[in-house]
Amino acid sequence: MQKRVIILCYRKIIDIRSVKQWDKLVFESTYLEFKMQAQNFSQGTDYTSYAQLLRNVPNAQRLSGMVTPSVTGYIQQLGSIMPDILNNIGRRFLTFSKFQLEIINSDINDKEKHQVAVNFYSEPLVWHDTIDNYLLVSGHSPENQSAAENNVVATNLMQLQPYINISSLQYHN
Amino acid sequence: MERKNFLKSLVIGAVSSSVLVEACKKDADTATTTTTTTSGSSSSGSTSGSTDSGTCSVVPTETEGPYPTHSPASYVRSDITDGRTGYTLTAKITINNSNNSCSALSGALVDIWHCDAEGNYSEYGGSGTQSTNYTSVHFLRGRQTTDSNGLVTFTSIFPGWYTGRATHIHVHVYNSSGTSLKVTQIAFPEGTGSALLAVSGYAKGMSGYTYNASDNVFSDGYTLETAAVTGSTTAGFVLTIGLSVPA
Repeated sequence: MQKRVIILCYRKIIDIRSVKQWDKLVFESTYLEFKMQAQNFSQGTDYTSYAQLLRNVPNAQRLSGMVTPSVTGYIQQLGSIMPDILNNIGRRFLTFSKFQLEIINSDINDKEKHQVAVNFYSEPLVWHDTIDNYLLVSGHSPENQSAAENNVVATNLMQLQPYINISSLQYHN
Repeated sequence: MERKNFLKSLVIGAVSSSVLVEACKKDADTATTTTTTTSGSSSSGSTSGSTDSGTCSVVPTETEGPYPTHSPASYVRSDITDGRTGYTLTAKITINNSNNSCSALSGALVDIWHCDAEGNYSEYGGSGTQSTNYTSVHFLRGRQTTDSNGLVTFTSIFPGWYTGRATHIHVHVYNSSGTSLKVTQIAFPEGTGSALLAVSGYAKGMSGYTYNASDNVFSDGYTLETAAVTGSTTAGFVLTIGLSVPA
């Protein structure tokens, strides 16, 4: 039977109303960095918002990459465990090795407009089954593969929820 | 015009988040998507997986912590070399306030960046997904905060050059809250016995080099932007410069 290997993407939105400590730190850090880097593009113009800069200033799309170093320290503090997303017994279980910072909106003069997303990409998972609103998944790791030789594999039940996407699907024989 | 643009940006935000919600929801749930589109781009802030009140996910039941701690941007470092090879350059930049009798400006944020020995800059971020194993992608870029004497010190390599430009270091000075005070570039002395001639453009040599007088940035005058550079290729070089900014 073909095995379906998927990667989940969790798009974690962070803005001025975020309440968790990690989210607040990321909010402050990305806003300061956005403000600093955006002034490299806004010089000599009246533009202050991210949308204006994107539309009118060449290379302003680099800003998300330029702001990324302001979150790497916070990403590392997560210890490769994806935040917020729990299995059905209330534990975080998804691991990630890749992320991408996305600036949604911001403004050099208005912190309240600042909104970013951290897109977390899970390690590859085997999608075994779908039970009601839940995915039954296991890590597609070498350790799990050898355990699977006895037809036993450690699995997790995870509820489908907003801001989770299956970002890639690959069939393995 | 500004308001129009702002409204447009809200519309874009609302469209993209509703599309995402559509893509992520089961068929049976799509009728409820209005909850996340009511106020456009900023409506989705509290939606974060298990904490979302609109779904029935279980609440976390885990040992508390580890607690997040303040972590500066990875630009913040004194040694910006990141394994780039070249002659060691220690850059000592002193910032003073032209609006306050040229007294030392402490607490200012100073960003510098320059090219490597071959004349290449590091990429900023780039496109696609970033790995958490994410070091040295911004080589030869760094940030320091001025001390009570207005001084920041960076360890780097002597910059190379590229076609059309004299050797230079970019500097962006901000106040402590991140408001830009000055964007400028540091020029290098280029006469007999200068560090520039000692380094001699590394492997590239100096053929085709653009000197300060012909440089499109420095040619209108570079006295205030030219650093003092001492040292040698064996001992390394020390660059010192004072920059006045209106703070």
